[in-house]
Amino acid sequence: MSTSFPSLFPGMLLDAASRYAEDHIAVQIQGDPVRELGWTATLVPEEAGGVGGNLGDLASIVEGLAAHGLQLPVVETCAVVPLLLQAAGAETARRWLEAVAEGSVQIAPLTALSATPDVDAVTARHLDIGYELSGAVQGVDATLPATHYLVPAQVDGDDAIFLIDAERVGAPRARYRTMEGRLGADFALAQLAVPESACIARGASAHDARAKATDAALLLTAVDTVAALATLIRQTVTHLKERRQFGVALSSFQVLRHRVADMYVKYLGAKGLVIHCFHEHEQAAPDLRRTLRLAKVSLAESARACAESAIQMHGGMGVSEEVLATRMAQRLIASEFRYGDRLLHVARLLAPQACAPQVSLSNQTGSVR
Amino acid sequence: MSIDYAGFRRELESFVRSACPPEIRAVVAAGQKITKREYQAWQQILNARGWGAPSWPREAGGTGWDIRQRLIFEEVMAENDCPPLYHHGLGHIGPVIIRFGTPEQKARFLPRILDGSDWWCQGYSEPGSGSDLASLSTTARLDGDEWVVNGQKIWTSHAHEASMIYMLVRTSKETKKQEGISLLLVPMDTPGITVRPIKTIDGWHHLNEVFFDEVRVRADNLVGEVGKGWTCAKFLLERERLPPANVARLELMRRQVTQLVEGASRATAGLRDFSGLHHKLLMCEADVKGARVMMAQATDDLIHQRPLGVQPSVIKMTCADVAQRLTTIALDAVGPDAAHRFLAEVGDDVPDATWIQNYMFTRARTIAGGTSEVQRNVVANELLGA
Ligand SMILES: Cc1cc2nc3c(=O)[nH]c(=O)nc-3n(C[C@H](O)[C@H](O)[C@H](O)COP(=O)(O)OP(=O)(O)OC[C@H]3O[C@@H](n4cnc5c(N)ncnc54)[C@H](O)[C@@H]3O)c2cc1C
Repeated sequence: MSTSFPSLFPGMLLDAASRYAEDHIAVQIQGDPVRELGWTATLVPEEAGGVGGNLGDLASIVEGLAAHGLQLPVVETCAVVPLLLQAAGAETARRWLEAVAEGSVQIAPLTALSATPDVDAVTARHLDIGYELSGAVQGVDATLPATHYLVPAQVDGDDAIFLIDAERVGAPRARYRTMEGRLGADFALAQLAVPESACIARGASAHDARAKATDAALLLTAVDTVAALATLIRQTVTHLKERRQFGVALSSFQVLRHRVADMYVKYLGAKGLVIHCFHEHEQAAPDLRRTLRLAKVSLAESARACAESAIQMHGGMGVSEEVLATRMAQRLIASEFRYGDRLLHVARLLAPQACAPQVSLSNQTGSVR
Repeated sequence: MSIDYAGFRRELESFVRSACPPEIRAVVAAGQKITKREYQAWQQILNARGWGAPSWPREAGGTGWDIRQRLIFEEVMAENDCPPLYHHGLGHIGPVIIRFGTPEQKARFLPRILDGSDWWCQGYSEPGSGSDLASLSTTARLDGDEWVVNGQKIWTSHAHEASMIYMLVRTSKETKKQEGISLLLVPMDTPGITVRPIKTIDGWHHLNEVFFDEVRVRADNLVGEVGKGWTCAKFLLERERLPPANVARLELMRRQVTQLVEGASRATAGLRDFSGLHHKLLMCEADVKGARVMMAQATDDLIHQRPLGVQPSVIKMTCADVAQRLTTIALDAVGPDAAHRFLAEVGDDVPDATWIQNYMFTRARTIAGGTSEVQRNVVANELLGA
């Protein structure tokens, strides 16, 4: 069976993350495993004391955790944070990236899990003595403790990134359990005064970093989905083989056989699409973002269909949170809503400007009527 | 004397509008989980008016209404955001006791269902017996004038708040598996019963495991003949699958979801593409209209005592399917804001998150009370032979 689900990103990182997830799935998260295990150093360049790894390395970690259903904000802490920090001036960036790699600070993005890091929830006003930030950020991942927040914001029509002490940001307005079992929080910044130095990047560098963080978040969430799908199907197959009704194994009912076959076909399609996204990312393909949006929409469709199938085929067990397949189903549906839901990405895909390149391709003469 | 149905509808409307407390209607209107509190309060109000059991015959304490009146009742209730009647007592075991129970059982159990003092749950499923209910293994042996029950039930909705359980037990192992099953009524406070909650994906507590360890039950709590419980169980399941409330509630849900989509669509104007959702809503609207006619036809067959055939299965599948599609549309509409604010730990609940819980809860509509696969088998067997 295991040969039907070869890993996407095999290697030591995957093994370590898998092992950690397997050992900790049943216990409450203690402390800050993401930093203790050194995963925050993955994307940090070597000259800043990091591992100098790439998104493929992080993808191994994401895959390992997702395969066993453990929820940790790896994408937020290990991808979004260092990618945003890299927008700062060389000296500032190095100092903070070093601290991130060492684990001596705990930096989290103050962004809604449902929005991409290139969306502004906060606006800033430049004052004589610094900045004043206002805005509501709802559904921020709060699974791990934070000493600092990175806040993407809009300043006078410019993209910007702020780095602010958690104490200054204050306590969240509300705390939640998210659909997939993480901790979430709502923050409200009401004319929060911060010093000039809190703005670590502005203009093009901030814009590019936020775009990169967005691509990485979309890509890694897609990896999470494919890994979760593999586990979901594996668990469902095991259930169908083991559970007996009417004196036979459920796996002998053709309707269920076809249903699980459909899940597998969807899984392979999703996996192919994610590999394609990775290639485009590595090659910095010009329409990477379009492909990522397509993947977001397509994976959402497949993942939800598979999640619903798995719940159905587990019968009553399918609605019990004790069952791993059920938790995977929850995770898959929740992942749809991370970094923009499908309605948002469809709107962007169908927006006139998104179609522009296609028009010029089909119009070989280049004339515009 | 012919019934003035329009006048009947007006009478109901004016009653429910003045008698159903606003706080209860608010829970229903918001699509929140209806708990024992709301069910019970509303049951008592209806019962005081003489409408505690719309579907029961008059001699059993019911209204004696014809089927059309019952349908109108359900529609008026749904249109006015009143809770549905609590099904396990009124819809399931009540009719079984009326049909198969002794005069003494009727006198003992029916009034307490009517006035809401007994709250029933259903002990059918077991860990090893789900779709194949007939393979159940919880036993009851006669010891003097008591049955002694041992075994385990699972997925028992509301067992933690119920005062009574109606359960299928094996009273003989010697016969075919459908035979040797009996229907037993057991007070939940009998020593030897343990209820353990099951955590479910919607974040609400409704399911339980129920354990029976040498539980002693009065012999005269067995309904019908010993070993003939399967007949009662089937009678009950048919009623479980054909509640008129399902279709009326679907229309209520459709209106709620339409409002939700319109609100979300306005709030995120231009940023998110709602065209697909509007399309899906239209298809649900069409299907609800179709389901209403199916229900009316099944009703007509019931009135004229024609066999129902596969209608309960078809209506159950259709209602479950439309309910799932509607809550899925709701999930899409509110998901991005609500998925990360599913259950409040500190601060207020996010009202939209209730729709995510509803989406999760509604997954069970194609599982509980006979899965859709099993219903399809029923329909296919009718069309193609077993
Ligand atoms: C929310 C909820 C509330 C419930 N409340 C109660 C309650 O109050 N009291 C009670 O007694 N029970 C209750 N149940 C249990 C419910 O009746 C069972 O879950 C249901 O009968 C299915 O049984 P199972 O869960 O064992 O699934 P299984 O029978 O194990 O089925 C698993 C899967 O196999 C499929 N399958 C099984 N047999 C066949 C076949 N012959 N052909 C094709 N496919 C097949 C099923 O459709 C399903 O997809 C509840 C369940 C839920 C989810």
